[in-house]
Formats: sequence, C-alpha cells, structure tokens
Amino acid sequence: MTDCTGLERRYRRLLASYPRAFRREHQDEMLAVLLTGARDGQRRPGVADVANLVRSGLGMRLRPGAPRSVVTVFAAVRVMYLGAAVELGTIITVFASLDSLRAAIAERTPGYTSAQWHAELLNRMVPLVIAAAIACGVWLWMAWANGRGHRWGRVTFAAFFGLTTISLLSGLAEGAATYAPADLIAGVVLWVLALAAVVLIFNRRSGGYYRQAPTER
Amino acid sequence: MAKRSMQEATFLILTALASGSQHGYGIISDVSEISAGRVRLRAGTLYTALDRLRAEALIQVDREEVVDNRLRRYYRLTAAGEDLLATEAERLRTHAQVALMRLGPAQRVMT
Repeated sequence: MTDCTGLERRYRRLLASYPRAFRREHQDEMLAVLLTGARDGQRRPGVADVANLVRSGLGMRLRPGAPRSVVTVFAAVRVMYLGAAVELGTIITVFASLDSLRAAIAERTPGYTSAQWHAELLNRMVPLVIAAAIACGVWLWMAWANGRGHRWGRVTFAAFFGLTTISLLSGLAEGAATYAPADLIAGVVLWVLALAAVVLIFNRRSGGYYRQAPTER
Repeated sequence: MAKRSMQEATFLILTALASGSQHGYGIISDVSEISAGRVRLRAGTLYTALDRLRAEALIQVDREEVVDNRLRRYYRLTAAGEDLLATEAERLRTHAQVALMRLGPAQRVMT
C-alpha cells in the first residue's frame, strides 16, 4: 500500500473549497474515492482533479440555498447573483475607462491640471466605485439570505429595491447631463433586475418557503 | 412548464444504481463501463450529483462500511428514483428509435 499521507493532506486542502456542512457529510467518503483512484506512488493531485474539486466546491458555495423545486426563490437568487455581477462589471468598467475619461476631459477643457483630475476622481469616481462595491455586497448578502429563506432577507431586499428606485429617479431628475448614458443604462438594468427579484420573492409560490423556519431545512 | 431532460452524468449515476446499491468508487467504475469508457466521473462531479439526488429524494444511503480505515457509503435508488429513471430511459428510447428510423437502414448498419 502506498503512503498516502502527503496526497491525502493535499486532497483535504482542496476539499476546503466546499461548504462546511457538505464537508461534514461527504469529506471522508470523497477522500476514500480520491485515494482509491490515485495511482501507485502518486504524491500530488492531478490537474484535472484539482480543477474539478475547486470548481464543484465553489459552485456548491454559490448554489442557491433554495432547492430547485422552489422555482421562484431559486430564480430570484440567480437574479441577485446577476445583480452582483453587473455591479462588479460597473467597477471594472470605471477602472478600465479612467484613462480615456481623463483624455476626453482634457481635450474639452484647455489647461486641465492633474489637481483638477484628482478632484474629479475623489468627488465622482471614488464614490461611484464605493457605492457599486457596497451594492455588490448587498446583492450577494441578499442572495444568501433569501436562498436560505430568511424572512428578514425578503424585507431587506424590498428596502434595497426602494433605494434603487429612488437613486434611479433622482439620477434621472438631475438630468442627462450628469447622468452619462452608460451610467443610465447600468442604473436601469440594475433596477429591472431588482424589480424582477422583488416580484419573484413576493410571488405567491415563494410564500411557503419563507414561512418555514430556515433551521428546519 | 416542460420538465428539463436529465443530464447525462445524472442518468448514468442513476443507471449504475439501478441494479443495486454501490459506493462512490463503484459508481465511478460502473459509469465508465456503461459508457464504454467515454464518461469518467470525477469525485467533485459525483458528490455534487449525489448530494443533489439525495436532497431530491431520488437516492438514499443504503449502508456504511469501513474498509482500510476509510468510510464507504453505499447508495441506492428510492422508488421515486426508479420511476424517474424509467421515465427518462423510455423518453430516450423513443427519441433514439425515431432518429434511427428516419436515418434509414444504411446508417443503422454503421452503429
């Protein structure tokens, strides 16, 4: 019999990508399967196994807490992940377009100084990025809470939807001059996603799932 | 809403359990045999599927053994799992029959 300790330790480390409850249930038998499948004298997990374990472990962490059979809540959680992805996309877009933005402003404004650019960054861009990062966190938090069937998750998300609506309306009221087209599109997309999620979690078919205490599942 | 067809890995796992209970590694070997070596399940994929199938009450734990200090958990189909597999197998057979019939005798010989 081969000495599996090194290999076993490495497999254990990879299994850490799975949620704790899953590990408690399946870690031992998974280790047995992985070690049985190992070649004689194998010291390190193969690349394909590493990729497979990490991918399914992370996939399991992101999997909506709601079972597929509760179609509305399952879909709502997916929509919330999409919302988080759009916020992340906004942040990446801001970072990626900083240089071209600076060039565009400099072209319009003769004698544009770096001090002015820094002020622009500090007053407009930093708040935008921070707001998007916070919102991204809220989307993920809500996906988790609603996936688990927490009733406060539903209420909190409704409040978040209210804020999204106000922010979109106030942005529109300030006029198109301050609301750049790309920003407006992102705002509308996020609002539509939030609306869809609200409709789904307050759907009649979601009710039963929230009425059960999360600990019962 | 129409029910989605079953993924191939799920179908093969349920098929592996159709003739009796098996443990994880047994399922992997059996699936490889059933698919003539084409489908090689990896542990991550297998246990994600087993966890889901158990949550959907299509399979259940039959018994546990400890061999060489390692846990072996045997799974088996539930009645619901048997029904679902039978329905899916019937559906696949119908589709395959129509496909072969429309292709005509020449292609059928090739298979």
